[in-house]
Amino acid sequence: MVAKLRRIPADAIMNLVRSGWGGLSSIITIGVSFVIIGIFLLVILQMNALVAEWKEQFQLSVFLEDKISHTQLEILEERIRNESAVKSVTFITREQALANFRRELKGQESLLEGLGSNPLPASFQLKIREGYQSPAALDRLSAFLSRLEGVEDIQYGQEWIERISHAARIVKLLGLIIGSVLTLGSALIISNTIRLAVYARAAEIEIMRLVGATKAYIRAPFLVEGVLQGALGALLALGLLFGAYRLVAPALDLASPLLATTSDRGLLELSMVAAMVTGGAAIGALGSSLAVSRFLKM
Amino acid sequence: MIQMYHVYKTYSKDLEALVDVNLHIRKGECVFLAGPSGAGKSTLLRLIFRDELPTSGQILVNGRNVVRIKSRAIPHLRRTLGIVFQDFKLLRDRTVEQNLALVARIVGMPTPDARRRVAQLLKLVGLSHKAKIIPYKLSGGEQQRVAIARALMNDPAVLLADEPTGNLDPELAADVIRLLLDINAAGTTVLVATHDLKLAEEAGRRTIFLKKGRIVEEWP
Repeated sequence: MVAKLRRIPADAIMNLVRSGWGGLSSIITIGVSFVIIGIFLLVILQMNALVAEWKEQFQLSVFLEDKISHTQLEILEERIRNESAVKSVTFITREQALANFRRELKGQESLLEGLGSNPLPASFQLKIREGYQSPAALDRLSAFLSRLEGVEDIQYGQEWIERISHAARIVKLLGLIIGSVLTLGSALIISNTIRLAVYARAAEIEIMRLVGATKAYIRAPFLVEGVLQGALGALLALGLLFGAYRLVAPALDLASPLLATTSDRGLLELSMVAAMVTGGAAIGALGSSLAVSRFLKM
Repeated sequence: MIQMYHVYKTYSKDLEALVDVNLHIRKGECVFLAGPSGAGKSTLLRLIFRDELPTSGQILVNGRNVVRIKSRAIPHLRRTLGIVFQDFKLLRDRTVEQNLALVARIVGMPTPDARRRVAQLLKLVGLSHKAKIIPYKLSGGEQQRVAIARALMNDPAVLLADEPTGNLDPELAADVIRLLLDINAAGTTVLVATHDLKLAEEAGRRTIFLKKGRIVEEWP
């Protein structure tokens, strides 16, 4: 029994080697299909990483009245910190605000020469918690803060918030639709490729049938071969994607989802690699099994 | 050994491949099934090794009713039969001995036994010196002898040969028939389907004539 079981992967590997260019083209086709899905996934992950990074950087500015007293300032800060939407509070003095502005005008500081007194107000820079960054929640927070004593103005780029939220929703929806279509298309391509490879061995299957091989005996090596082709194709795709990304990412100077430094999952995180290899193996096995079954009508 | 009772095989209203075939082949016999192309010879053989089912009738092979066996028992039936085809049906990407060894692997024969059996059969068919050669490099006659050796790997009770000389010139054809007669002399029941009446005549064995699906004559 053990010898019989050992023979299955041995036969599968031998068949894969014997299949030569046919087997290689199956692996490459599977790899290319997965590269297409992988590129798409990378783009989605990249956009998610950008949105996450932006959300991390996002700040709401509470500009203060010039006449605000020290006590009022302390009370205001306390009230702001107690808000559940607020993650952190940083106080920027008028002088710090001017210094920051001067830094942003690098090369054009001469524009400030005729200013006279510092026109910039002091402010609290608030980092907002993830769940409170929707336009509606920010509107509510802004309305609350603007009623507090000592607050002159609230700014948080309202227009951009709405645009980015809208864009993020569209990305998610498109991602789902296009991702599903791509996955289905890839599965069909892979299945057809494997089917062609099995059909090329129709004579072999027929001979095995006629000399008394059982269906299981005939099917098993093809199944394992399909698993190997699918897994190798997925690994090829991962290698190509990783290599291509290493070339492109520095030039784009983007956050790297490959290293999973953000909350989103990276392409080469172990669970993603396992998912792609398992997916490839499963598609390979299914394609082989369906193709061989066609010939096993006894 | 092989018994057929009122066997019919109809593909459609206009295509009756076998009509009321009754025959009895005894253990150890060598029987020729002769007739023109389309007479039903190949169909009859295909029913014996259960590549098809008869439309009606019963077929017994070595006491087993092959019409009533379940699908999963068909491989085991075929292991008790050796089958030889006109187009040899050898694996092109394996050597002669690998083609024979395939059968041994399928039935789970231990490797030393398989090696011995392969060597023995290649000696029987006179091809020991060609064990490591790929079949397409052999002549037609040699390929058919390899196919016959493969058919004998399981030491079958019955050897079925469907037009074994169809692709061979007369000299090679005679060689193959001689080999089949030798195998029969060693105890294997042999059934040969052929359209070559001359070959059947020269063999001098019991011959059943088929025409349009019916048995029309029998020698002697």
